[in-house]
Amino acid sequence: MIQLNKNYSLQERLADFIPIKIVSVGGAGLNALDRIVLDGLERADVVAINTDVQSLTSSVATRKVQLGRSVSRGLGAGGDPEVGYQAALESADEIREALADSRVIFICAGLGGGTGSGAAPYIAEAARESGALVIAFVTLPFGFEGKRRNAQAREALARLSEFAHAVVCFENDRMGDLTPPQAGIHQAFAIADMTISQSVRSIVNVIQRPGLIRIGFDDILAALRNRNSRCLFGYGEADSDNRSHDALTQALKNPLMDRGRMLADATHVLVQVAGGPQMTLSEIEILMQELGRHVSDQTHILFGAVVDGRLGDRLSVTIISSLSSEEEAGLLQTPPAPTSASVPAPVREPYHAPEPELEIQTEQPAIEPTPVEETIPFEEPVAAEAVPVAIPLSIEVPVVPSHNGEPERTIVKPHDTSISPKEEKASPEKTTAPPKQEVLQFEPVTRGRFEKSEPTIVEGEDLDVPTYLRKHIKVK
Amino acid sequence: MANNNLMIGLEIGTSKICVVVGESRPDGTLKILGVGQAPSRGVRKGEIVDFETAMKCLHEAVVDAEQKSDVMIKSVYVAIAGSHLHSFNNRGCVMLPEDRDEIDEQDVEDVKINAREVSIPAQNAFLHSVIQHYQVDGQQGILNPVGMLGQKLEADFHIIHGVRTRIQNTIRCVKELPLDVEDVVFSGLASAQVVLTQQEKDLGALVIDMGGGTTDYVLYSEGAVRQSGCLAVGGDHITNDISMGLRLPMARAEKLKTEEGSCILGNCLPGEMILLKDDSGFAGKEIERETLNTIIHLRLREAFELLKRRLEEEPYLGYLGAGIFITGGCSLLGGIDHLAAEIFEIPANLTHAQTAWGITSAVENPQFSTAIGLVKFAQVMHTDRPARGFGRIFGKLFSGKR
Repeated sequence: MIQLNKNYSLQERLADFIPIKIVSVGGAGLNALDRIVLDGLERADVVAINTDVQSLTSSVATRKVQLGRSVSRGLGAGGDPEVGYQAALESADEIREALADSRVIFICAGLGGGTGSGAAPYIAEAARESGALVIAFVTLPFGFEGKRRNAQAREALARLSEFAHAVVCFENDRMGDLTPPQAGIHQAFAIADMTISQSVRSIVNVIQRPGLIRIGFDDILAALRNRNSRCLFGYGEADSDNRSHDALTQALKNPLMDRGRMLADATHVLVQVAGGPQMTLSEIEILMQELGRHVSDQTHILFGAVVDGRLGDRLSVTIISSLSSEEEAGLLQTPPAPTSASVPAPVREPYHAPEPELEIQTEQPAIEPTPVEETIPFEEPVAAEAVPVAIPLSIEVPVVPSHNGEPERTIVKPHDTSISPKEEKASPEKTTAPPKQEVLQFEPVTRGRFEKSEPTIVEGEDLDVPTYLRKHIKVK
Repeated sequence: MANNNLMIGLEIGTSKICVVVGESRPDGTLKILGVGQAPSRGVRKGEIVDFETAMKCLHEAVVDAEQKSDVMIKSVYVAIAGSHLHSFNNRGCVMLPEDRDEIDEQDVEDVKINAREVSIPAQNAFLHSVIQHYQVDGQQGILNPVGMLGQKLEADFHIIHGVRTRIQNTIRCVKELPLDVEDVVFSGLASAQVVLTQQEKDLGALVIDMGGGTTDYVLYSEGAVRQSGCLAVGGDHITNDISMGLRLPMARAEKLKTEEGSCILGNCLPGEMILLKDDSGFAGKEIERETLNTIIHLRLREAFELLKRRLEEEPYLGYLGAGIFITGGCSLLGGIDHLAAEIFEIPANLTHAQTAWGITSAVENPQFSTAIGLVKFAQVMHTDRPARGFGRIFGKLFSGKR
């Protein structure tokens, strides 16, 4: 039953990087982008888009697009989304050119101002038309920035979520949880930037890292699928003795997570564990067991594991999920999240755009390479089909922490007139040589009388298990 | 207590709870008047997991101690262990005001507070701040700066901290009895008080107190604590390994360990067997001695290697003039000193309470090192700083609870 892919090798994997672009819009977006670049990011292009020339020149991005040369004449949009929108319209060609040839586009913007609120939805639209997966990371203004600004932000958020596949929304007010009370305003803003930076980088890493148990596009989309939803996101990293516990605690500490309470209502939770070569199976097992306490039994856990030498002694956990909005919650038979109600949900216009143009389908054994023609037309509303297909999966599958036994899934790409040869190459490879492999069942580890006590994990080893068992020394 | 020279140490250990009653003699020595003990249940790895059961055992031990020493026990010093304890070294610094250059007691107190201004996890509380030495205007190695002239007072402290609630649990158990808790002491630090003489502390020594549930270690160099910590591996783990490896019940494995166990390999005849006698008189199981020793050896070797790696994070291990001192129940295992000497490449000795006298059987038993150490700690506290409230940390621990 267990099939191992013999051809599996790291070099081969490194070749199929997915072209990713990170686009920042407006002043706040630029700040976040600078932070992302400074924090170090590989394997992604960065594009800075703004109306204000001054901030563009000081940005560290390699590619820059100035919006509205005649509309705003190199100045900012002056807090008016209309100006921002007009500026974006004027520079439409440049935007499209900058966005071309990528399969995932992240849009970072601070909503509430002129450029961010006005241009970001337009750019999201352009990005989506280019056929890429669009994930937006936006910040909502602080409460003290005024009602007007907040209203602009909500409106922009609603428009943005029409076009983006997923919107990860950070409310600056909630960042207060992260900031020590005596921290200056600079630090508060810097922390908001850092949170965005961390989120983007970890999602990029999730996509790009060649995993032992790989997380694909499809998994990410499944985790973020719920429309009109709040994205939950957590990232933790630790190198202590008990690093798996510490990393998870840190991930759950993210203000978007509300200490893991939010996860209880999520239908899909994507978890990626990354660590250096010293990462042990028992660490992952402990981590997933601990996480299991925060999610419900019905939750579909999408698990990925990655060994990355650069992490050294550190172990990192990325958790991505989304809370369904009210009506979807009803559809999926999850009780409406009381927590999500407490968060002011943005008012959105009725949504008519098509559901994500990808469908998760179960692959038949020995299937022929999925032809690209087998696509869902972009405009066809497939939501009704897409959701029921996913439901049986999430119910049939028991939640085992290490679980990865769901049937193979493929991404059916959006109908796209200009599929690059690179993409064509990538998709058959994905289906014929699936990077996923079955996970071996963990051996029942016996801890004797310490079975119920707190484990003693030192340097990645569970010291409660007899030494000779761990070192595989035969004593008899 | 009529006699305020009486001090009582209480250790809630993983294998036993023991209460030591000691008396501080006018000549400064410490006499042990009585030792009460009871087998411990409801304690794992140095921490209470079953409150009710642990309290019953505690009560037994206290009653035993009262009977043996003929003393009414009202307040105790309590040892704290557990893997949640961590330590680090930190330096505090205080600048004297322009118009004054004589260092007074308040400055010394301030520098201690200053040294504590480091971030420890929010749920943690300080257990000890042990002074290493002071520096006045850059002059090193000052032991008592009060009365000296200077502008800048610095002090290096060794700070031990642990999770507040877990420390409180132990205190609470004692308080419910009801007994007053005078102070809580990290058990490794307590052991070191009686196991080492001042001379050994000055030369540099490592105390490894390997008890039932935890292995506590304290490293002294130039008379000051440099490193300390607690590894949640102890004799219980060895027993558990034996029980699982040889498929014996825990009680039988424990007996086998204490009666026959050794961690020296290749020291027995090939195929030498140990005959386990059954209680009912039937011939029991036969166990190969080498197998038993291998299990013990592997566990101890791993624990020592872990300790060594931890201690090697700082350079002091290379400067131990007095060597390693092993105490605690596990030090009774045959050959443990040789194994430690081999791994650390430093001479290792088995030891027990040195700086106390009285009931010889208790003083010479390494199992009581921590409890006797508590009494010694109390004695030092009483004589060194009779009036000053060292219960301050302790008060803080409780303020959270009420």
